Amino acid sequence: MRFILIDKVVSFEAGKQLKAVKSVSLAEEYLGDHFPTFPVLPGVLLLEGLIESASWLVRKSEGFAHSMILLEQAKNVRYKSFLSPGAQIEYTVDAKAIEDNVSSFMGLGVSQGERIVEARFALRHFNLADDDSAMAAVDGEVVENMKNRWKLLWHGSNFGS
Amino acid sequence: MAMSREDIFQEVQEILVDALGVDDDEITLEATLMGDLGAESIDFLDIVFRLEKAFSIKIPREELFPAESLMSNPEFVSNGKLTEKGLAEIQEKLPHTDLTEFEKNPDLNKLGDLFTVNAIINFIDSRINAA
Amino acid sequence: MRWIWIDKFIEFKSGLRAVAVKNVTLAEEHLHDHFPGFPVMPECLMIEGMAQTAGILVGEAKNFQEKVILAKVKKAVFFDYVKPGDSLRLEAKMESLAPEAASTSGKITCGEKLIAEIDLLFSHVDNNLAGKEFPEENFVFDDTSVFKSLLRDVASYSSGTEFVESERD
Repeated sequence: MRFILIDKVVSFEAGKQLKAVKSVSLAEEYLGDHFPTFPVLPGVLLLEGLIESASWLVRKSEGFAHSMILLEQAKNVRYKSFLSPGAQIEYTVDAKAIEDNVSSFMGLGVSQGERIVEARFALRHFNLADDDSAMAAVDGEVVENMKNRWKLLWHGSNFGS
Repeated sequence: MAMSREDIFQEVQEILVDALGVDDDEITLEATLMGDLGAESIDFLDIVFRLEKAFSIKIPREELFPAESLMSNPEFVSNGKLTEKGLAEIQEKLPHTDLTEFEKNPDLNKLGDLFTVNAIINFIDSRINAA
Repeated sequence: MRWIWIDKFIEFKSGLRAVAVKNVTLAEEHLHDHFPGFPVMPECLMIEGMAQTAGILVGEAKNFQEKVILAKVKKAVFFDYVKPGDSLRLEAKMESLAPEAASTSGKITCGEKLIAEIDLLFSHVDNNLAGKEFPEENFVFDDTSVFKSLLRDVASYSSGTEFVESERD
């Protein structure tokens, strides 16, 4: 499958906050395993929605300065309810701090007024060329691809409005 | 293993900081777990497990946090308030908690206010320092 | 894609600890999106691998009678990233087990290298989350063939046949 766990970005405030939404559909294959008679979005993919939202906040806020944005740590990721096919969740990530190579966030996912997931987490950002200058071209390629994906997530969300 | 209340507090503070993701200074004796510190049902389980480990004791969950079993029993709850029977039950289960204030208006929603950091320390104190 | 994030168990001590392996390969489609141009295994899927390793450890301890779900990621810390060609070792340890929940600690290594430390809290849903509706049957562990297959190489795992038998009733 593809690995893009948000469908569109709905708002963005540089350095501060980003909101994104994800719809859940039975067409998503992994729901067949999780679980066969009780399909719900796996908890770690709720966390992934928050991580991706925060990653976009970092990429956009720092002008796509780094190719790699990875989860450094997550704490107190609490699951309060389930998200079933047909539902949509809105993720809100608030930056506590965005520094050059690390950032930290509070994340919340809400569906129809119900809190589904809450998390505190931190990301780290770097370029592969930091360790090996020969990797600069790969960094460039990843960044270019991520810029295109941002257009898909952001421009797409604003078509017709 | 005898421990002073100050030592117990230190340990409990560390546990609550880890389990709830709050800051050290938010953990005061008067702080309520649900209202002030944002604890939810699943956090109570987490806290009980951590307390058991830290103090090497077994804690039946309803002994430390009896709210859930009470709330679902119609004998103990009526119109969103605890009945007299319910009050007696909770006093029995929480011998270390002062219920005088709560009894004036035993609203279910205020039940959470009873679970303070101090109540945990009283509980641990009674368990590990009992003669 | 399927939702199975460990390839097999290599150790399984009922109620105590479990060790699983997960190979990371370019044949996994999702890696090509994370990230396009430089694939690394998404951290959240390593958490899921640990949740499956630890979740089966918790489920087996109660003979797969409880619906075991991940309720809280207490802590997940990552020290390095994982690339195609890497083989991960996921080790989960039971910390506490109670009628309504269980907590586990775990670490993921790649060769000598520590990749992550992941501590989880599981809930037995029938004993929690009152008021929510769930299927009657055990939707978490209804396909025992998956566990049988994951445990195929664990010679010392003795209760495996027992639970498969009892699930047939």
